Formats: sequence, C-alpha cells, structure tokens
Amino acid sequence: MANIATLKPGSTCLLMGNEAVARGVLEAGAGVASGYPGSPSSEVIPALAEAASQTDIYVEWSTNEKVAVEVAAGGSFAGIRSFCVMKQNGANVAADFIVNLNMTGIGGGGLVIFISDDPGGGTSNNEQDSRTIAKWIDNPLMEPSSAQEAKEMIKWAYEVSEAVNLLTFVRGVGRISYTRSNVVPGELPRKAQPEAVFPEIWDRNNPRKSRFTSGPFPVFHAPLHEKLEKAREIFETSPFNSYTGPEKPELLIIACGASTSYCIEGVNELNLEDRVSVLKLGTTWPLPEKLVAKHLKTTCKVLFVEEMDPFVERSVMELAAALLPETAHLTFFGARSGHLTPYGELSTDSVIGALADIMGITYQPRDRAYEEMCVEAAALVPGRPINMCPGCPHRATYWAVKNGLSLDGRNGFVCGDVGCYSMGFAGPGFYQARTMHAMGSGTGLASGLGKLGRFGLDQPVLAICGDSTFYHAVMPALANGVYNNSNFTLLIADNSATAMTGFQPHPGTGQTATGEPAKVVELEAVCRAMGATVETCDPFDLPKTIDTLLKMMAEESGVKVVIMRHMCQLVKGKRKIAPSWKMHVDGSKCLADACGCHRLCTRLFGCPGLMVDGETGKAAIDEALCAGCGLCAQICPAHAIIGEEV
Amino acid sequence: MANGINELFDEVINRGLCAGCGACITGCPYIVAHAGRIVALDKCTGSEGDCYKHCPRTFFDFDGVSEAVFGKAYPGGEMGQVLEIFMARATDPEILKRGQDGGTVTSLLALALEEGLIDAAVSTRMDAEKAPHGSVARSRRELLESAGACYEVGFSLEAYRSLPAESTEKLAIVGTGCQVEALGKIKREPPQNSPDPRNIRFTLGLFCGWALAPGTFHPYLKSLCELSQVCKFEIPPRPRYSFEFHFENDREAGSVSLDVIKPHINSGCHYCWDMTAEFSDVSIGSAETFPGWNTVLVRSPRGAELLALATEKGILETRELPEEKLSHLKWAALQKKRAAVEKITEKSGSKNDLLHIGRPPEESADILSRWNIL
Repeated sequence: MANIATLKPGSTCLLMGNEAVARGVLEAGAGVASGYPGSPSSEVIPALAEAASQTDIYVEWSTNEKVAVEVAAGGSFAGIRSFCVMKQNGANVAADFIVNLNMTGIGGGGLVIFISDDPGGGTSNNEQDSRTIAKWIDNPLMEPSSAQEAKEMIKWAYEVSEAVNLLTFVRGVGRISYTRSNVVPGELPRKAQPEAVFPEIWDRNNPRKSRFTSGPFPVFHAPLHEKLEKAREIFETSPFNSYTGPEKPELLIIACGASTSYCIEGVNELNLEDRVSVLKLGTTWPLPEKLVAKHLKTTCKVLFVEEMDPFVERSVMELAAALLPETAHLTFFGARSGHLTPYGELSTDSVIGALADIMGITYQPRDRAYEEMCVEAAALVPGRPINMCPGCPHRATYWAVKNGLSLDGRNGFVCGDVGCYSMGFAGPGFYQARTMHAMGSGTGLASGLGKLGRFGLDQPVLAICGDSTFYHAVMPALANGVYNNSNFTLLIADNSATAMTGFQPHPGTGQTATGEPAKVVELEAVCRAMGATVETCDPFDLPKTIDTLLKMMAEESGVKVVIMRHMCQLVKGKRKIAPSWKMHVDGSKCLADACGCHRLCTRLFGCPGLMVDGETGKAAIDEALCAGCGLCAQICPAHAIIGEEV
Repeated sequence: MANGINELFDEVINRGLCAGCGACITGCPYIVAHAGRIVALDKCTGSEGDCYKHCPRTFFDFDGVSEAVFGKAYPGGEMGQVLEIFMARATDPEILKRGQDGGTVTSLLALALEEGLIDAAVSTRMDAEKAPHGSVARSRRELLESAGACYEVGFSLEAYRSLPAESTEKLAIVGTGCQVEALGKIKREPPQNSPDPRNIRFTLGLFCGWALAPGTFHPYLKSLCELSQVCKFEIPPRPRYSFEFHFENDREAGSVSLDVIKPHINSGCHYCWDMTAEFSDVSIGSAETFPGWNTVLVRSPRGAELLALATEKGILETRELPEEKLSHLKWAALQKKRAAVEKITEKSGSKNDLLHIGRPPEESADILSRWNIL
C-alpha cells in the first residue's frame, strides 16, 4: 500500500478505492478518524494510520461502530473535522447514536461517515443497502462512481456537512472500495488544525454551539427538515451530478454509484448514444428534485440503474407523481419492472440486458459456441468451498466442540457469531455453529436459550465469539446472561487479532491502530469481573479442551466462559513465527479408505494442508500449504501422520 | 446391504441391545466409549464396518464362530462346548488375596506369562476410582493390579483393539460371554486394523449373569463409599443377596441389597444368552457354595493343556464339582438363555425374529432346538 500522505499532488497514482477515500480525508484536513474493521471498508483506517506520523490526524480502531461515530462526533463537537468508516452492518450498530445526532446537529468541524456496502455479499453475512439510513434520519447522502470521485466527494462532503450542520454520508460499494484505479491526488492542507475546545456554556460571544442534546425533539425536528431542504438546494448544483446524451432521449437512464460506468459501457456497446442518455446522480439523498424534474420532462421512458434497493427509483417515482401533469406519461424500468434485480451486484451485462429489452434490440453478447466452451471450461475448475486456513485454531476449537457435544450426548448446540469462526456453520467447522446474525448475537441468543430449562430445554447451550467481537458487542450479552442467571457456555476464540478483516488490533492486543502500545483489556479479568466461571484452553490441546467443555456443560447453572487461546496462523506468519512441526505421512500406516479411518483427515477434518496422494491413494501433506501446526497428528487414528519438532 | 456404523447404532445401540463389550471402539475413530455409553463422534462413510461385523448383538453365526474357535459345529446344550468340568483355586497366597473367588484366572495368566506362552494379557482393570478400563498386563505385577472382579460394563476389548495392527505379541484375553462372542467373530473375520487374532493364544471366559450400566451405577456407587479405599467388590453366593465392597484397612465391608443394584443392570445384558462364555478356551466362575473356589469349564484342547500345566506345576489345586452343583449350573445357564429369548421376542415383537440369535434367520429355530428351548 502506498503511503497516502506522501503522494505527489497532480501525479497519477494507482490507488485502491479505500486508499483514495483516506486521501480525501487528509485533503479535507480532518483531524480525527475512527472506524471498526469490516470488509469492504477495512483498508481506510490502516491507510490513515500509516499517514498519521506525517500528518496531525488522530486515527483509531474503535471497539465498535457506534463508539467510532461517537469518537468522531466528539471531534466535530470540539471543532475538528472528523471522519468515521464502517461497513453496511456497522451502520446498524452506529444507528442508535446517529438517530440522535441528526437532532443535535454536529459541532464546528464537519463530520463525514464513509459506509462501504457489499452488493453480492461476498464478504458479509448479509446484503443490506445502508442508504436507507440517510433517508430515515434526514441527513445528506452521496455516492461516488469511481475512486477519484470518492476522494473528491469526501472533501466536498465536509463542505456540505458544515454548510447544513449535519453528518454527511458517503456510500461506497465493494467495487469502489476494492478496485485499484488511477487517482490524481490534490494538495494536502497546510494550515494546522483549529484548537479543539468543547464550547463554553452561556458564552454569548461564542457563536459555536455549546449543547448537543437531542431533546426536546420538537425544537430540533423542524430545523432538521430545513437543513435537509438546504442540502437539497446545494445538491441541485453539485459537481457530482452530470448528464450525457441527447436533449430528448428515447430513454433516460438515472444511475448512481459504481453502476454508472456499466450504463456508459452498455449504451456504447449497443450504439445507443443518440437515443439514450445517462443522468448520473452523485447526490442521492435528498434528491436534487429540480435537476431530476428537468430531465424527466424530456423523455417518456426512464431506467433506474442502482445496486440493491430501488432507492433512487422510488424517490424519482414519488417526484414524478408530484410533477404530473408537467411530464409526459412516463414508463419506469428498473427493479420494480424486473429489468434489474434489487439484490446482488449489477454488471455491464445486466445493464445491456435491460437496455436491449427496453429498446427492442436483439443482442448476443458472445457467440453460442464460445458460451458453451465457457461452460465446459468452468466445469474443469475444481470447486473451492470455503475453508479455514491451514493451522487455523478455529478448526481445533470446532473439532473439540464437535467431539465434546457428541460425548456429552444431550444434543447441545452452538450459537454462532460473526468472524472467521462464522464458517462453523459449514464443513470447516463441522456444521457446529447453528445461528449467525449480528455481532454479539450468538451470546444474546444463548442468554435467552439458557433460560428455557423451565419449558423443558435440557440441551447444553453454547455460544462462540471472537476476541474482537467480544469487545464489540458480546460484553452486554454476557452481562445479561450473568445478571439473569442464564445457563450457557461462551467460547471466546481468542486468536489475538481481528483476523477476518485483516489482523487489525483491538482492545486485547496491546497495540493501537497507529502501532503504539496500549493497555490490554484482559478477557479473563473482564469475564471474571462480570461473574462468569472462566477457564482458558489452548484448543490444540484437544483432550484438555474437550474435558473442559464437558466439565463446563455439566455445570447445571450459571454462565461459563472458555477462552480458546491460540494465535491466528496468519498472524504467526506475519510475525515470522516459525512452524512448530514438520509433518509427514507414513504411507504404510495410513488406512485411507479402510475400516478404522475412511479418510478422517481429508474427508472430515478438512485442513487444506492435507491431501490424497493420487498415486498411492494415501493421505499426504501439501507442503506448500501445511502450516506445521501438528493438529492432524492428534486426530489420525492410525498414527500415520507424524510431526517432527522443528 | 450396508452394514456399518449407522446400522450398528440403529440395530443395537439405539435399541438398548449393546452389551458394552468394547469390540467396536478404539479401532475406529468414530466410535468411543464415554461415561458408560457408546458414542458416535461423527459420520463414517464406510458401508461395511468391523464395528457391525464384530458386534455380538448384530448377528451371530453359531456354527461359523464355533468352527473358527473349536474347529467344529456348535453343539448347543446349556453351556456349549465343554471338555472338562471341575473346581480350582490358586495356591499362591498373594493371588488368592487379590483375585476373585479362587484366583484361577490370575493364576493361569501368570503362568502363561511366566512360561512364555503369552507376552501380554488383555483384561479389565479398575482405575483409582474403580471405573473399569481395558488393560494390557505384561508382568505379574501388572496382572495383580488388574485382578479382581468389576461388575460394571467396561468396554474392555478396546484394549485389544488399541494394540498396533502389526503387533506380534502372543495374547491371552479375558472376557465375559459378550466379549468372548465378539472375539469368536473376530477370529472368524479378522479386523483390518488390529493384531492378527491368531496371536490370541488363550481366551479365558468369565461367568456373567449381567453387568451394571456405568452411566447410572457408578455415580450411585460413588455416593455409597469412598471408592479409592475399596479393594474388592463381591456378590457372595446365596442365600446372601447382596452387593458388597471391601476396604483395604480391615474396615467392615459395605453391603447393599441386590434389589437396589438390579435397576442399574445394563439393558443390553437382558438380551444375552451366554452365562458361561461358551466360545472361550476355558470358562471360569464362582463355585458359589464353596467360597474361595472357582468353577472351571475347559472347552478346547489348548485350554486343557494350560490347565494341565497349571496343575502339574502346582499353581492350581483342583477338585471335583459335585453333581448337584453341575446341575444347578446347567439350570442357571439355561435360564439365562430362556430369559434372553423372552426379552428378544418382546423387543422384536415376533417369535420368528430372534434378532442377533436369529441371524441368519433360518438358523434361529435350529439354535433353539439345540438349546432344548423350542
């Protein structure tokens, strides 16, 4: 990753969208940046953290998104431009604060939140359109269509935020966040941050707001709508809205975000430049109604191209209803008409499909023989089901859980959570995790399920969470369980990192976002202080871990915590910690398909470092992948997998 | 037809027929014994499993097993193949003290080890808390540590199954009827990943009416006494009707009525027809009204040779079993068969389906006629 603080203004740089966003934050002169990791947004804070030593920005990983926005809002209240970043699920966590912040307004420094959504859900456990929150709370929202625009838009969002005294959202998507493209950096501000001060109360000479209390709401709600109208006026002439195409198009495309380029490509591919126009909206809430109305009056067909919810589609249809009879009879195409889907990612192909249908064009993107070859070629590629890494401690944890629950024999079950260990719902975790919702939900669910003994639920209740998730949202659920005398066992899979999103530090790692030493918020101490019975295991010690689980599950009441502590294999790799074992298979001992094994290691255990030797049919170690964790030697029934200490 | 772990659980374990012999565990990573239960840790995709093949409760080919063990068809009768019957007891005072009744089993194993007839003896050993486990003894000291009866199901054939497949050690295996039946099946169809059953030089059978289910009995026993202080368990002959536990330090023995004990009988034991461990080389039990003596049934020539050596060396003294005692023994063995058939019929719901006794089905009537209980 390039250091975004040292990019030469005016030069052309290859930047990831998230780096461009971070550069925008620096160019806007923000002094506070906070966030919680979550793909596709995770790279913004590290880029800012790396730049922190060259600039005077304060950067932190917060324990969760709500706290992150509060930290940033604190900056704003004290007069400092502040920034916050999260993924779509994070907006839900932050919402409780944000739905009050709209009433209080912000402080002297602009406040911008970058939320990166994940159409297609490739790196998420839900697919959610976060734009709705802007409409919900009457705050301005913008959507960049490229990395360059994302950078410019962040800067401009501060101007809007300060002009209307509201938090301003910039909504990205995975395609914007993760694509690397040419970005031309601008100048970094030369002036120092203003002095941070929480404004003094009753100081008549101080024009700055000194109170940020959301009640009494009637006082604040009416001005909020005035602010929103002001934002709408600003958006009418926004440089991020543009129109290309004929004056009176047969079809008007209204597009926003990453989809804009699919529209331009699609129109070109079908040679429709003279018949179809594209109105690109960078400011999508509040809708710049005058601008949109002007273009609605030039056509009688409109296609909406936007990813996920028909957000702009519905706003424009509402507007069109209000405009009647000033417009022609309009026909709308988009998610509602079924021409595009309100879920998943769009593509140039999907836009071309919609255009061809609306315009009555027959279009064959690729010749049939080629399509058939593609299908045949795809079949040659081996399937790659999701898996945990070789040496992953979660595999050991779930192996112990699987065996422990079987031995216990009372149909115990695990409430899952969000992190690498989410894969416990599938083969890599032996199908042990039976629920998956929001961060911390596993423990909350367990707290409720653990109270159902009176109605006959006699199965052991387990929950699992990661170390970072524990600080994020599990602590209140754990306190709830202890307070209400629930009966469940929480497993904290402590792998010393926020592993799934890229090993970001958290309150348990002893390090801040910018690499300074930090106080460790110790898991054992927190759980004990909350009143839980606490044990710590190394999940690679399978017998002890299984024994501990059995003992905890046998306890008839109370909240038990087992901390499964083993460092993430990838963190070990990053820290250049050498593997513990050199593994090999004694083929003469390997039972393979025979009774007494039936390929336990490759069929069930499923570490990617294990494979079947095509010639001998015996198990073998894939030396390119094996992490040398030694766990497979423990599970091989024939003692054919052998580890030599290195 | 698939006969693997799923069928084993459907037909035996989940139906309450498991005898707890331990033949299915340890050689298999999917089946383990835990807290007195057989547990499937995971799905095995094998359609043909040794677990099903060797279980004494899946099917039992009496003639086939008899051929494998004795080289001839199953003779039937109350006690199966028998060459000699007498009473015996150890002459070694240490063995007499540690062993059950006359200490005959321990004496024979010690002799076989000493004479190099075997390298190891597989039997059951109680841990400090008196929970039984399969164990392998390779010395007189280890043998003495595993002496004495444990009345709980111990899954102790796991000790044989856990020996390395390539082991060439000569073995003696001690077991109750179910275990000796499993060993008979193992001799007929050797397992794929355990030592060659031809290494088993002697099978010493133990008389057994039933065993207790550890899942419920062991916690109960623990509530009765300080288990680590117990040196011996005993069910003394009638007219006493009790389960007794003796302590190391001459403390007065504890005793509970068998009526309290019997609800803890392992459910699978009710389906057992084999009180005298009919497929062993030598079967040994209490001599009932002759305290300190064992009843010995010699079944095979190699069993006879071992007994002859023991008497010749003066390790065992023997005496005749009185006729009325023999009749009583036969009556008891037959009663066990009758009770099993009744329970099996109750379970299957049909006199024509005798479950493990009746597989192959055409043999069931034949077996009942050989037992004279048609």
